[in-house]
Amino acid sequence: MGPEDLEKVLRLLPPGDARQDVLVGLDTPDDAAVFMLDGETALVHTLDFFTPIVDDPYLFGQIAAANALSDIYAMGGTPISAMNIVCFPCSLGMDILVRILEGGLAKIREAGAVLLGGHTVDDEEPKYGLAVTGKVHPDRIMTSLGAEPGDHLVLTKSLGTGILATALKGDFLNETEMAGAIEGMTRLNVAASAAALAAGAHACTDVTGFGLVGHLLNMLPQGGLACEVSASLFPVYEGAREMAAMGMIPAGAHRNREFLSTRVEVSPGVEEIDRDLLFDPQTSGGLLIALPPQGVEAFAQQMGGAGSWTRIGEFTQSPGPVIRVNP
Amino acid sequence: MDGIVDARGMACPAPVVKTRDALKGGARDIEVLVDNPTARDNVCRFATSQGCTADVREEGDIFRIAVSKTTEAPSDRPEPEAADSGIRSVVVLSEDIMGRGNRELGEILVKAFLNTLAESDPPPWRMVLFNSGVKLAVEGSDTVQALSNLESLGVEILVCGTCLDFFGLKEKLAAGTVSNMYDILTTMLSATNSVAI
Repeated sequence: MGPEDLEKVLRLLPPGDARQDVLVGLDTPDDAAVFMLDGETALVHTLDFFTPIVDDPYLFGQIAAANALSDIYAMGGTPISAMNIVCFPCSLGMDILVRILEGGLAKIREAGAVLLGGHTVDDEEPKYGLAVTGKVHPDRIMTSLGAEPGDHLVLTKSLGTGILATALKGDFLNETEMAGAIEGMTRLNVAASAAALAAGAHACTDVTGFGLVGHLLNMLPQGGLACEVSASLFPVYEGAREMAAMGMIPAGAHRNREFLSTRVEVSPGVEEIDRDLLFDPQTSGGLLIALPPQGVEAFAQQMGGAGSWTRIGEFTQSPGPVIRVNP
Repeated sequence: MDGIVDARGMACPAPVVKTRDALKGGARDIEVLVDNPTARDNVCRFATSQGCTADVREEGDIFRIAVSKTTEAPSDRPEPEAADSGIRSVVVLSEDIMGRGNRELGEILVKAFLNTLAESDPPPWRMVLFNSGVKLAVEGSDTVQALSNLESLGVEILVCGTCLDFFGLKEKLAAGTVSNMYDILTTMLSATNSVAI
């Protein structure tokens, strides 16, 4: 669902219960919820599932699981258990479902969590994902809010999965040609999360369906903060720029742009393709981290060779929340 | 007019796929009907990328896009010729030194190689830098000047983006342009001769 529709629905619901043990609930735009058990332990809850983004069932399982687990990492938590969410047409071979679940399980295990069960529904189009529970110390929770002027904005995976998935659907490229994006989408955000915690990150979220802009806006509170990003620094998956130039922009990117563009100031020098990347919905995207300048070196050291990461911008003082995009 | 592609009610990428199939089938003048702005923008972009013109007419909720082939599609066209000679030399640098053995010597050699290359006539068509070769083109490297000189002679320098990311050097690129495996591969395949260091 696009951000506009979701906001409309949520507005009609009663506000979240104000309880002291709900540390992160309905009132914040974070992907996961945090519930405090005692002074030492809080539980992080999240769930996410979607339709196949690649043809290979095992890879799809891995991507869907990495994507669901990411919400726990974005909050600074450690996954402890997971449940499968499956929609599947009986007409499709059961061996395909087995491969999807095997892919998911591989990622759950890599995360050090345990699969406890799941639920299946007969449906025309396959869908797969996880409900994940994680744990976190109540004092070590990272949320999307908390960035300060002067903080650096770091992104830990490349952009362009929405464009590439659209191109794959249209047979404009094959899975081998989008190997870079598949590697990125199946990569857990575990190292990035640990590095962010070690570097004293002020705020953290992950980039998924609402695109870079949608999730970055969640990091800007109602007043006091803007973010300046440089399009030339955007890390981009191989092939995404070419595919964008050939008209492979997904409908989700259009929805994101329609709803969010009033809160983004794009300088005239920014290329059209970089504008597309701002709004491209991401699957299993990277973490967006607000790092204090003195934390950048510690972050770099912690990350070591664990995937690419890029400084793409900086938070600045501003009367209203806005993202400024420079070439 | 060679036909109408009715892509109303279709989500991306279907409208582009249908447009592509119509053009592949030999049509030169078609009208594509779509009913959402994403499909309109995507079909126009695709048409442009294939060397076609695209004119949009809005009729109520429908967009009528007239797509006409004006030139051969870029993929059917040979790669642009290097100046007049037809020779497309590509120089490939996959390391930040020249030759194996002593590293210090390798650094001296690669610098001399690039300085000499800038004086060669004609200069190469393109250069491709990947793996640790990308380090030659980043701030602080004493080969940046030679690479900039080559660029000013019209040499296109393709620097592997994945490699820059890997080394965390993308912000430090001081010569050449960030490139990708597709362009690097196309360059190497369309070279008439290539020199790998």
